Amino acid sequence: MATVATAKPENKLRLLLLEEKGAGQDPTVWEMEYDGQTLPGDPRHSPEKLHEWLAAKKIGPAELHPRARAEMARKLEELARSNHDLEQFAYIASHDLREPLRMVATYTQLLAERYRGKLDKNSDQYIHYASDGALRMQALIQDLLAMSRVNSENVPDQSVDGNGVMAEVLRDLETAIRESNAVVQCGKLPVIRANRANLLQLFQNLISNAIKFRGKEAPKVSITAVPAGPLWQFSVSDDGIGIARESHEAIFAIFQRLHTRTEYPGNGLGLAICRKVVESYGGKIWVESRPGSGSTFNFTLPAQEAQAS
Amino acid sequence: MSEPPEIQPREILVVDDNPADVTLVRESLAETVYQSHVHSTSDANHALEYLHQRGKYRTTVRPDLVILDLNLAERNGHKVLSLMKSDAELRQIPVVAFSSSGSAADIARSYEAGANCCVTKPADLKRFFSAVRAIEEFWFGYAVLPRRESNDRPTYTHSAD
Repeated sequence: MATVATAKPENKLRLLLLEEKGAGQDPTVWEMEYDGQTLPGDPRHSPEKLHEWLAAKKIGPAELHPRARAEMARKLEELARSNHDLEQFAYIASHDLREPLRMVATYTQLLAERYRGKLDKNSDQYIHYASDGALRMQALIQDLLAMSRVNSENVPDQSVDGNGVMAEVLRDLETAIRESNAVVQCGKLPVIRANRANLLQLFQNLISNAIKFRGKEAPKVSITAVPAGPLWQFSVSDDGIGIARESHEAIFAIFQRLHTRTEYPGNGLGLAICRKVVESYGGKIWVESRPGSGSTFNFTLPAQEAQAS
Repeated sequence: MSEPPEIQPREILVVDDNPADVTLVRESLAETVYQSHVHSTSDANHALEYLHQRGKYRTTVRPDLVILDLNLAERNGHKVLSLMKSDAELRQIPVVAFSSSGSAADIARSYEAGANCCVTKPADLKRFFSAVRAIEEFWFGYAVLPRRESNDRPTYTHSAD
């Protein structure tokens, strides 16, 4: 359906919104005219391609047909708003769930403490199931909150020393490291511009995964960072159970788990949070791994702008 | 180790609209050496009546410590806090802001309004118990509180709620 641009102001780029396809496909197909001529080359572009194309041709928004411009602005605004609403919803839902859940968790614990062995023989088990479920749900809600906070807190980025972040993460994971006899080696890490809480979460999730999915031996984990153009590439490597090729993408999806809860505890949010953090800085995260040969999680983050030192 | 000196029980007022939390606070303090008397009110108006010893609280004893849930209905916990801290007498009573969660802004605001400390209600029973016991231990075992007027001595003839 043609929805845009009927008037023909001279020397203005006309942008025609031709059709909107179904879900899963490029939502929008654009066709362009300039000076009454259909532009050469592929006339159909996704909005992203169109933006790239316009930038490459140095055609600024002022040159766009006013109605096309309004349409683009409206779509962008709509997208930002629905994103924001969704984040708000996730935050409020998880935040407000915590309070009633705290009641369930504390009172099942109180029941367990006061009445252990005093009721009939099934009761201890039933109370344990209830209490365990409440604890798991608390962990889940905490992770959902962490996830919804990645973008929403509007904390300005600051210079964060990767080494300091790592020291704090290792302190937080001290129990897990001690109990698994893990050896964690950390190279020198750069200073980057980011939100410190986000970075803590990112490293903590990756390192605790490296320890959790260990093989039979005490786990060895190493963390390194190398410059890669305008980015830093960080790697967290382990010698754990590894991941089959077909799951290399899926593990980053929310609630995606490859193991049962009895094999490895967890709620399937850790790597989804990592991906959200990395992508919020325009970086990428990926894994290199084979079953039985350990895993290396790589991610990129923008380097701190050059500073006189 | 010598015997601890005989402890004069102190008065704690818990202001919380969740009876389950009031129960948890009572349970936490049920068997401590301080034998504090725990009273409770569930809204801001009753809390203020209690603190001013007005209405049905005329014969109560002014508390030595207030444990205040800031998330009372309509944010009235903050109201209780600021009214207490702007009152020449009531401001001497230490107030522990005790809420299930607080944004950084809420916490900053509580300290600005004069909260003596902010403690988040732990979601785990054992940690909840130890947090409340630590509050009691600190304020009654270590901190030195203003001397109570003699006519303010507890008589324990009346226990509110």
